[in-house]
Amino acid sequence: MALSGLFEGYDPGGFFDEAVTSEGAPRDHYEALVRRLEGLTPHHLAERERVRDAAFRSAGITFTVYGEGEGIERTFPMDLVPRIIPAGEWEHLEEGLIQRVTALNRFLDDLYVGDKAVIKDGIVPQWLISSSDGFQRAAHGISVPHGARCLVAGIDLVRDAEGTYRVLEDNLRNPSGVSYVLENRAAMTRVLPRVFDDHLVRPVDHYGPSLLNALRRVSPAGADPEPTVVVLTPGVFNSAYFEHAFLARQMGVELVEGRDLVVDDHVVSMRTTHGLKRVDVIYRRIDDSFLDPVVFRSDSILGVPGVMSAARAGNVTIANAVGNGVADDKAVYAYVPDIIRYYLGAEPILPNVPTYLLWDADQRRHVLDRMDELVVKPVAESGGYGMLIGPSATDAEIAAMCRRVEADPRGYIAQEVVALSRHPTLVDDHLEGRHIDLRPFVLCGDRVEVIPGGLTRVALRKGSLVVNSSQGGGSKDTWVLASPEARTSRGRP
Amino acid sequence: MMPVTRYDVVYRTSIHYDDIVRASQNELRACPASDDHQQVVAYRTTTHPASRVLTYQDYFGTRVDTFGVREPHVLLEISAEASVETFPRALVTVSPRVAELRSPSFRDRYAEYLGRTGHTAWDDDMAEAARRVAAISGDDVVGIVLALHRFAHTSLRYTPGATYIGVDVNEVLAKAQGVCQDYAHLAVALCRSIDIPARYVSGYFFAASESTGEEVDGDVVSVQTHAWFEAAIPGWGWLALDPTNALQVGPRHITIGHGRDYDDVPPIRGVYSGGGRPNTQAGVEIRRQTAVAQQLQAQQ
Amino acid sequence: MLARHAESLFWAGRSIERAESTARMLDVTYHGLLEAMPWEAERSWMDLLKVLWLDRPFAELERGVRAATVSEFLVFDPDNPGAILSSVGQARENSRAARELISSELWEAVNSFHLELRSRNLRADVEARPHELYGFVKRSCQMIAGVAGETMPRDDGWRFLMLGWMLERAEMTCRLLDVRYSQLVTAGATGGFHHWLQTLKSASGSEAFRRRYRASMDPADVVEFLLLSRTFPRSVLFCLASAENGLARLEAGRPTLTRPQRLLGRTRSDLEFLDSHELLEGDLHVFLDQMLNGVRQVAESVALQYFRNAQEHDIHALDPYGPVLELG
Repeated sequence: MALSGLFEGYDPGGFFDEAVTSEGAPRDHYEALVRRLEGLTPHHLAERERVRDAAFRSAGITFTVYGEGEGIERTFPMDLVPRIIPAGEWEHLEEGLIQRVTALNRFLDDLYVGDKAVIKDGIVPQWLISSSDGFQRAAHGISVPHGARCLVAGIDLVRDAEGTYRVLEDNLRNPSGVSYVLENRAAMTRVLPRVFDDHLVRPVDHYGPSLLNALRRVSPAGADPEPTVVVLTPGVFNSAYFEHAFLARQMGVELVEGRDLVVDDHVVSMRTTHGLKRVDVIYRRIDDSFLDPVVFRSDSILGVPGVMSAARAGNVTIANAVGNGVADDKAVYAYVPDIIRYYLGAEPILPNVPTYLLWDADQRRHVLDRMDELVVKPVAESGGYGMLIGPSATDAEIAAMCRRVEADPRGYIAQEVVALSRHPTLVDDHLEGRHIDLRPFVLCGDRVEVIPGGLTRVALRKGSLVVNSSQGGGSKDTWVLASPEARTSRGRP
Repeated sequence: MMPVTRYDVVYRTSIHYDDIVRASQNELRACPASDDHQQVVAYRTTTHPASRVLTYQDYFGTRVDTFGVREPHVLLEISAEASVETFPRALVTVSPRVAELRSPSFRDRYAEYLGRTGHTAWDDDMAEAARRVAAISGDDVVGIVLALHRFAHTSLRYTPGATYIGVDVNEVLAKAQGVCQDYAHLAVALCRSIDIPARYVSGYFFAASESTGEEVDGDVVSVQTHAWFEAAIPGWGWLALDPTNALQVGPRHITIGHGRDYDDVPPIRGVYSGGGRPNTQAGVEIRRQTAVAQQLQAQQ
Repeated sequence: MLARHAESLFWAGRSIERAESTARMLDVTYHGLLEAMPWEAERSWMDLLKVLWLDRPFAELERGVRAATVSEFLVFDPDNPGAILSSVGQARENSRAARELISSELWEAVNSFHLELRSRNLRADVEARPHELYGFVKRSCQMIAGVAGETMPRDDGWRFLMLGWMLERAEMTCRLLDVRYSQLVTAGATGGFHHWLQTLKSASGSEAFRRRYRASMDPADVVEFLLLSRTFPRSVLFCLASAENGLARLEAGRPTLTRPQRLLGRTRSDLEFLDSHELLEGDLHVFLDQMLNGVRQVAESVALQYFRNAQEHDIHALDPYGPVLELG
């Protein structure tokens, strides 16, 4: 069945296309959406885009782009064509994500409050942990109820040329982007309401209550049965401030800065107009090194002096736990499949992307010879910063990266380029394939829960593989379809 | 019975501020460790203004006393009193070869103590110096460590007030003067630069009386906290040496704790809020119990 | 609520009102002097600076007291934290700091006022069309007040916003009366009713006054109206009573009065039982000064009662290496 209308001339281009088979026919779960879109005219779409822009502006959804002088507030570009994940596929992903985050929590607990069995048993070398910037010795001995050290995890998934989902990287410190998941859905229901009619899309708007519930579950033993939760932000000048405020609003809890909190006798309180009010759980969105100037950077004025001692005394829970960076170190990433096997005695459900460890002389030689075919990433960065994409890099960039790798082999990893799957995306007045990834959000309180879907990021520039918002990426609403059995019991979103 | 020496140690720090401070939050690392070479009998910390002290063992096994003062003050006094028994240390009875340093399992076991840190970031010149010293000692790791220890001792002139912590270790060597933590950092950097794991140790040292030059039981000796280093010997463990005094560490050394460098075991660290600038004074008094008292104790 | 947020809202309210009142007073002074002698003008501008407590900082600039120099100082001088431009900037920063507690509409209103003011050529406006400029400032501030009233829930955040707003307005109405009064004394025309009418106009009160006092030409009636009206929202009594009401709601259920409540109640009753004719026979300036002092004390006690906990974060590291200088 040929494609028409907006799909006129649509070419999967030899990549795995999410919506269209290599023969050019819509995949089953995209059938209804494709038919709807074919019926839209460019004029229609332009109008829908105006509705979208108005929706985002009125919701005040912006992120700050820093250029010269003052930051500029921009709206985050959401493409009008949603991404659809069928029920069966999602079940597989959900299972894999729960498995991975469960193992990572066990790993972190082992390192910080356990007897480091994973090192003693030779699964992960001591030196790898010792040399990780994210390993926080100051977190030694601080436990978290239920071992929920990654209270919120954002696991970046990609699909390769065969359509296999693979984990690209783990974000276990302060993964951001969930506000776009919720806002994209809210905007989408206004922009293309009728498209929802043909689908049974699983809702995402329970994220706020679910997050609050998870945070309450990790409140210290002996805390008030109605524990006080706060969101700790670096302040209005942080580029993710919108999300911090958004989450506080979604949960109905106070959004505080470091200066609003005070530690007295190892108990944390917030300063209110009516005196000090005790705080039980801090959902912090500031980095480890700024959290407590007594034990970390003494020049930090964003943090709370004594908050680490309060956590150690069991008077407050800090989420995500301090020191999670060791587990999302991109060099440790290469060991995650073994970590899963070690703690859970099971094969990883979601495979990694093939990764080369550059301190190994053989692997390094191999990588340095093929720099133009590989992706090289610094181990401790996130957001795509400092990354080299071999096939599109200049000779000078490659030479510079070679020098950096030689100087600090522990500081980088190399990966095979994944031919990321593509998705129909609106370009001017028609649809073209653009590369995408997926960041689902996993919540751990007393149990592990995955929010259906997640943030689909799309590289809006033609041919680009970089989806990060700071690097010209956009996003898509992501629909997980309810399984047919659920059709009778669930209402529409 | 193993000969035991018992000490009473009093560590005092007072911080005078030149203006009112609203609050302060601090960590104290002053309690002697209990290990194969020493045993703490009693320990107590007090602060003035009073505070609730929370105690924990840090990543390196050092006892930390952490506390906050949340009332306006211009003077904070902290004292830590310890009674501790020290035992003699065994002499090294192995003589591993340099090749054993390269064993992956040895390197991984001591991975924490092989790299550069803020205070031990050696440069090429320092590594070259370490290699020259090592070359004279041949293939014997213990011999190399002892030679590096001597080299650290003879490379610096003991000069109180000559340096501050934070000065680059290469600069310390170039200026050829320093105090105990400079000696310790230098020795650590020298060892690590030729792949010998080494760590920084913070502690107390019962020194000879300044007036008589003798070590007298029952007298109170006023000193400062001290620092030395330990090197990992394949097949043996840590060898502790005091490059400031050119001594093997023995019963007169009382260990507080160890780390990769000073920043892992500072005696005191903290922050405060308010307008004042701090003037910190620290001192240690050590009394070695008399032989009679020790005998009495042994009988009990 | 967080002490810091309460403090930000309090100052957001104050700053907006300050910008508006400063514009009003500039407008009155400017237009009151159009036909005056130069020496009268200098005296009047100096008096304006005095009632705003800005005479000293201005004198330090050594610019000469003229309409242009004083107006520029009060409108956009970056070194004057009380200038209209600075006040609006502070209102924006304080709104931003309490962004989560105010409505998006209010934030947008404050933000776009700030941006628009900044984009204007203020020097040219002050010179060529001061009335239009001050009108723009007044309208924008009133618009912000309207948006706030329409979109903010009546919670503690609203109460702190209004508390700052009302205390500042009470102060500013006192000052407006003071500056007008001193001008009249200077001109030797205490009875010049059209001057008082100007005052009423500058407080947007002439129509309300007419309805209340009909054909009255008595200055005492004007003073009474601006100080004691129970219905006119810029009268000092109205402002103090609103502030008092807000304070009471903040402490609903509390068996005793707080210190801010007691201080405010006293100041309000000093005013409320006043006879305006007696006042005009005595020294109005002295009385207004007392009122200003009373309001200032209320503001200070509010800060102590509610914002004391909002401390600036000044964390200093204990010189980590101090004690080891003498290490063994």
